[in-house]
Amino acid sequence: MTTKAYALPSDLSPATVTNTTSLLRIIALAFISGAAIASRLFAVINFESIIHEFDPWFNYRATRVLVADGFYEFWNWFDPTAWYPLGRVVGGTVYPGLMATSGVIYKILHALNLPVDIRNICVLLAPGFSSLTAWSTYMFTKELKDESAGLLAAAFIGIVPGYISRSVAGSYDNEAIAIFLLMFTFFNWIKALKTGSAFFGTIAALFYFYMVAAWGGYAFITNMIPLHALALLLMGRYSSRLYVAYSSWYAVGTLASMQVPFVGFQPVRTSEHMAALGVFGLLQIIAFAELVRSHVSSKQFQTLLYASVIGLGFLGTLAIIGLTYKGWIAPWTGRFYSLWDTGYAKKYIPIIASVSEHQPTAWPSFFMDLQFLIFLFPAGVVMCFRELRDEHVFVIIYAIVASYFAGVMVRLMLTLTPVVCVAAAIAFSTVLDTYINPVEPEAPADEAASSEVNSVASDVTNPSTPTPVSKKSKKAVKDSSASSTTGPFGDLVASVTSGKSGKKGERSFGVFGLDTRLVVIFHAIGMLIFFVWHCTWVTSNAYSSPSVVLASSNPDGSQHIIDDFREAYYWLRQNTPETAVVMSWWDYGYQIAGMADRPTLVDNNTWNNTHIATVGKAMSSSEEVAYPILRKHDVDYVLVIFGGLIGYSGDDINKFLWMVRIAQGVWPDEIQEPNYFTRKGEYKIDDEASPTMKNSLMYKMSYYRYAELFGGGQALDRVRGQQVPKTGPTLDYLDEAFTSENWIVRIYEVKKEDLLGRDLKSANAFAQGKKRKRTKPASRRKALL
Amino acid sequence: MYLLPLLSFLLLPLSFVVAKEDPHAELVKLAAANKGVIPLDERVYNLLTSPKRTWSSSVQFTALDPKRRCSPCKEFNPSFNQVAKAWQKVPAEQRDTHFFASLDFDNGMAVFQKLGMQSAPIVHVYPAAEGPRKSPSGKTSPFTYDFSYGFEAGPLAESLSQHTPVPIPYKAPIDWGRWATVAAFGVIFAVTLRFIAPILQSRWTWAAGTVLTILIMTAGHMFTRIRGAPNSGPNGQWIAPGYQNQFGQETQVVAMTYGLLGSAILMLTVVTPYTSSPRRQRAQVYLWSFVIFIMYSVLVSLFRVKNRGYPFKLLL
Amino acid sequence: MARWRFNLPLLLLAALQPWLALAEHSFENTAIVRTVELGGALVHVTTTYAIKALEDGSSVYTLAIPRDEHQKTSWLEVKIKGQSAILPLDLVGQDIKTGILYYAAELPKPLKLNATTNLVVETVQTHATYPWPAEAGQKDPQSLKYETELLVLSPYVTAVQRTKIRTPSPQVHSFTKPEGLEAFTLEDPVTKSGATLTYGPYKNIPQSTSEDFVEDKQKRVTVHYECDFPVIEISKLTRAAEISHWGANLNIEDNIVLHNGGPKLKGHFSRLEHQSSAYFGRSPPHVIPGMTLHLPAGIQNVYYYDFIGNVSTSRLRTAPSVPKGSPSTQFSVLELKPRYPVLGGWNYSFTLGWDSPLRDSAGYDSKTGKWVVAIPVMTPIPSAVIDQAEVKIVLPEGATDFDFYPPFPASMNEVASHITYLDTIGRPTITLHYNQLTDKHSGIIYVTYRVPFSAHMKKPLAVATAFIGVFVLALTWRRVDTRIQRQK
Repeated sequence: MTTKAYALPSDLSPATVTNTTSLLRIIALAFISGAAIASRLFAVINFESIIHEFDPWFNYRATRVLVADGFYEFWNWFDPTAWYPLGRVVGGTVYPGLMATSGVIYKILHALNLPVDIRNICVLLAPGFSSLTAWSTYMFTKELKDESAGLLAAAFIGIVPGYISRSVAGSYDNEAIAIFLLMFTFFNWIKALKTGSAFFGTIAALFYFYMVAAWGGYAFITNMIPLHALALLLMGRYSSRLYVAYSSWYAVGTLASMQVPFVGFQPVRTSEHMAALGVFGLLQIIAFAELVRSHVSSKQFQTLLYASVIGLGFLGTLAIIGLTYKGWIAPWTGRFYSLWDTGYAKKYIPIIASVSEHQPTAWPSFFMDLQFLIFLFPAGVVMCFRELRDEHVFVIIYAIVASYFAGVMVRLMLTLTPVVCVAAAIAFSTVLDTYINPVEPEAPADEAASSEVNSVASDVTNPSTPTPVSKKSKKAVKDSSASSTTGPFGDLVASVTSGKSGKKGERSFGVFGLDTRLVVIFHAIGMLIFFVWHCTWVTSNAYSSPSVVLASSNPDGSQHIIDDFREAYYWLRQNTPETAVVMSWWDYGYQIAGMADRPTLVDNNTWNNTHIATVGKAMSSSEEVAYPILRKHDVDYVLVIFGGLIGYSGDDINKFLWMVRIAQGVWPDEIQEPNYFTRKGEYKIDDEASPTMKNSLMYKMSYYRYAELFGGGQALDRVRGQQVPKTGPTLDYLDEAFTSENWIVRIYEVKKEDLLGRDLKSANAFAQGKKRKRTKPASRRKALL
Repeated sequence: MYLLPLLSFLLLPLSFVVAKEDPHAELVKLAAANKGVIPLDERVYNLLTSPKRTWSSSVQFTALDPKRRCSPCKEFNPSFNQVAKAWQKVPAEQRDTHFFASLDFDNGMAVFQKLGMQSAPIVHVYPAAEGPRKSPSGKTSPFTYDFSYGFEAGPLAESLSQHTPVPIPYKAPIDWGRWATVAAFGVIFAVTLRFIAPILQSRWTWAAGTVLTILIMTAGHMFTRIRGAPNSGPNGQWIAPGYQNQFGQETQVVAMTYGLLGSAILMLTVVTPYTSSPRRQRAQVYLWSFVIFIMYSVLVSLFRVKNRGYPFKLLL
Repeated sequence: MARWRFNLPLLLLAALQPWLALAEHSFENTAIVRTVELGGALVHVTTTYAIKALEDGSSVYTLAIPRDEHQKTSWLEVKIKGQSAILPLDLVGQDIKTGILYYAAELPKPLKLNATTNLVVETVQTHATYPWPAEAGQKDPQSLKYETELLVLSPYVTAVQRTKIRTPSPQVHSFTKPEGLEAFTLEDPVTKSGATLTYGPYKNIPQSTSEDFVEDKQKRVTVHYECDFPVIEISKLTRAAEISHWGANLNIEDNIVLHNGGPKLKGHFSRLEHQSSAYFGRSPPHVIPGMTLHLPAGIQNVYYYDFIGNVSTSRLRTAPSVPKGSPSTQFSVLELKPRYPVLGGWNYSFTLGWDSPLRDSAGYDSKTGKWVVAIPVMTPIPSAVIDQAEVKIVLPEGATDFDFYPPFPASMNEVASHITYLDTIGRPTITLHYNQLTDKHSGIIYVTYRVPFSAHMKKPLAVATAFIGVFVLALTWRRVDTRIQRQK
């Protein structure tokens, strides 16, 4: 008879137990979704329901077009205001999934007489989908271990900062829905693989299509699944289930994905997709081989067959490589290379390297985003190794690949987070299973007494122990292996290496005593609570500010909103002609288009390096050089971001070197980075700044009349922490048009050519001369001072 | 040191003699004389960068004299010479329109002062001021080479090729050592395959590999790789200040912490329950719980060091 | 009285002549005093006619208003001095040749022979002034010009008349000195004292509506003065008032397009100068840094946003709700601040809305079984003109036989249906259009309607059905087996 650490109610019918558990499960899921949504609303509560950052503003604008003009209008929408004067074929250069999703939601709600503002739909889309993500993670983990692990995983991914960082209310970006699609596709893939049903394979393919339509990161799925299949093949785990699942997924998925105009024929033309194709071919060959082998039984023939299989696979690979060289298949794109070595990006595609979220990840950000999951993660992976079913192989591969990529680029932390949650949940729920399970093993004779003492007797029979946990424990007991080596180390080796698939035996498994259980359980609960605190703190402090609106606090502690961006954008929108072309660095392109509704030269969809370099050149060269460029692109207003007054560090002077580099890439003999440093090679804006720096348009526009603000006092740049020269720069070809309250946004108007045909410099000088004559006394007073 | 003026004084008549003949010819001769790199002094420098030069030139300003203690100069000099050597391979008619020259601080202080240079090495490229190779933009002032890609010869050749009539035919010397090692390993692998096959097929080797990779990656190894962060900072501090920065040693420490915590969890779940004797098991449970708690608080305090604003703390 | 804009057909004039002929003998103006209060967007003109009856029982006094002045006039009312009753007034015709319009004012009781009384004619002119110079730098003062007719015309003989023009500040750059008035006065035709210009007195003027008089006697005078407060123009005001009985709530939302009618900004806006001038407390008169609005008492969750989200630069002091009917002197004061200071010629459009408890403005008339709701036409903005106003009143869903009583006739009104949250058939909507509203026009629209109980029940029913539908779907979904073949 088995002893118990604590008593369990015995008078429960199995039906009641199952019903209760399923009810509890539903309630738990509901609460998790609630938490997931709620924890993403900090941004709305602290600020307002507003679209965040940069790219979301474009998505928002596109969505507005979609709901206003209908899907077909959106499909072939040519936007003449972006990339002026080139314009942009938006319909063909976006992943429409996101806009389509919110468009559909909008239409449904309005059909139900719920006239919700499209902005609110866009703002709340990400939180809504995060709850779906939690659910799909639950399904996924359930396939790997069991419901309890699933619930844990769902809870983890619901509130883990690594995912919240991309899905707070208002960050209306492709990632918002992509992670749900990722997890759900993977779940369907696993399901299809386990059941070998073409149905789930097709579902996976359909959601893969949705993913392709929604996010450029779909390439991750495109390579993960073939990798998994390949690994299974190499492990000699070929099965008809694998064949059905993969073939259905690949065939349907690829055909579907080619319907997205932005993707088009890439699935058969580019190297990123070749792995999938190759594995598909390999599978066909092997399937054929298996078929033949099942009919033929001659030994030599089989060997021959294997040889031919390998040969064919080899040939296939060669063929693909050959095609690549022939140019039928496009080689890896630069963006893809930059994943493998980011030095490449810095050298050849500075635009990519210049984005902050493409920097490598230091360990604190790992801990910040995943907290204690990060060390449960390896433990979970080891447990996947213990019972090495097909789906566990998937998790293992995912774990390796994702952790590498997350190390290379900060933004890819997003793809790592789900697998971390899953693995951590597996590890954590195993701990709980082991220590909640009341069954105690039989102690060896000599220590029976001590174990009897703190074990509460109870005569419940195992089958009717209520919690699913104890059901599992039965399995655990059954599966525990029997290599009875002595000594702790022997235990370790034996037990760690004894997977579920390992040989069964009668070795005692279980925990003695109640105190041990309590210690571990309380410890675990403590960890969870800490995790919740951590997530709440990180979310509310780090990830919930819409970089459009800045918050500072008044002396009395109340929140003070710094709203310069919208102030300036709205001024543009209301007081400049509809067609006024605004030039700014590309970061602000989408915001200007979205909020100011004016044509821009470049924006955050950085498809045309030369155009961006042109802007960079204009910004980094002197007025005389820049003016013709501005006039040629009939720029009316130039907008710069200047944080010097209130210490807003993300301003243009800090991004300036990238403008220089990008311009240098195209005009190496006109712009050279070293000229912007002082003789000592420092990057300074004070008196020591190099003449090239001081004459550059960017410098002039940033510091124009800035020193005067301090009256006689020493003007200080609070970002650089340097003294600004007392005699500020002068502008001849531009004219200050607007400056926001805290000087963050400064807008300059480009003067038209002088009416008398003089060049503006001399014209200005002439006017100044006149003025000086008029204000003689003033100047004399200056002389006295 | 005081010899120098005297020396130049002695050379004076000679220089007159040389000055007679066509400067271009002289430069060609000089270049040929010493493996493509013209050793400059003030006179030759002025000759080379004369306002009506029909040729372009790449000049290295350096200070190789040990007492100048310019280690980057020594580091960079060979690369420059290699590129110059590679340039010698191109046919004469192009070769003689672009010169490589090197001016050492001790031979041309005046030039250094004139150009107001305070650091070395510096590479200037002087485009042709006249003649067919005059730069389209009419720019005659020198370009400065940007050392942001390091001192290697490859990027140098690449960027100088923008100013030479034909690209510099520079090829990085093949690293035979690496190939040899790779081949050796291949052979060893092939030979011992039979013996190590069971190890390769054991899932636990793979598990070990996987877990190690994960640990290293999540401990920010790639950051140190890509950013070339030092193993430890100056004055032996091993924690880099700042949230977005880290040293090599941090990677190791953090990875070990993660590993320890993870293995403690594993111990609790898959080892301890198998212990047959209650006393030993209880001891283990407490031990591992304690380990987890301690290491976790260590980790958190480590994080607090990196991220000052972090409000939570455990034991320490 | 809203502004009239139509010319009468010629034939009316034929009918007019004899009538005028007899009109001109019935009265005599012993004195006319016209006071013009110059301002920014609005000019208040008060004309006092001291009249004497020349016949018994003469009860209809005729006012003459020149065409261009009439064009600008958006408010016109006549009272007996010292009485609050407004005299009925109607347009009787227009003289095609002189362009003069004639209004007939009905005196409360006919005057006996030689009896006298004082008529006070009050008018408000909009867009009567224009900035001069048309462009001004950021620091320059703001100067406006105002033009008007020198003499007050009247179909009757006038003994003496004078025109006083008050400018907001004593800075008057220039004003016309009329010539050739020897017929009416001998001393200086105009005198200036402080901020007041006085034209006249001009003595014994014959009946002045005749063509030749207008031709050669009438003069135009122009005043060029400095105005030390901004010229606020609201190009468009769209007010939506939504009545909800479920929420016991009246939601009012104003959609306002603000325009600074002052001199256009010359050169460019310099934040530096703006901040320094604000720092020294002498910000130029033609900058609108903000407005102070008096919203009704007892309002909750006031919102103020524009195309791109909240505007967080305003302060609000709410007053507690006051019971209906009691004279409420207290307001919720909103210091409304645009995103950026609105300089001359700049625009700023925004949306301002609030909820107020329905009981403060609605009442139930138990004997007719109708609801009566009072909705103000607009939130008065001091010294601002509203060029176009559109007031949209959304009644509760299912409201029947509704009716509305505006304080002054609208230029156009329409009835439509409007569907919003959880509606099934939509709500009846009344829309009124106005032009050229001034601070005189802040009246109240009364709406009466009847809401049957069934209409009240529509919403809960709709919602309940929706939910039940969802549950039924879920039930069936759980119970229907969609698998093709049974797994064993």
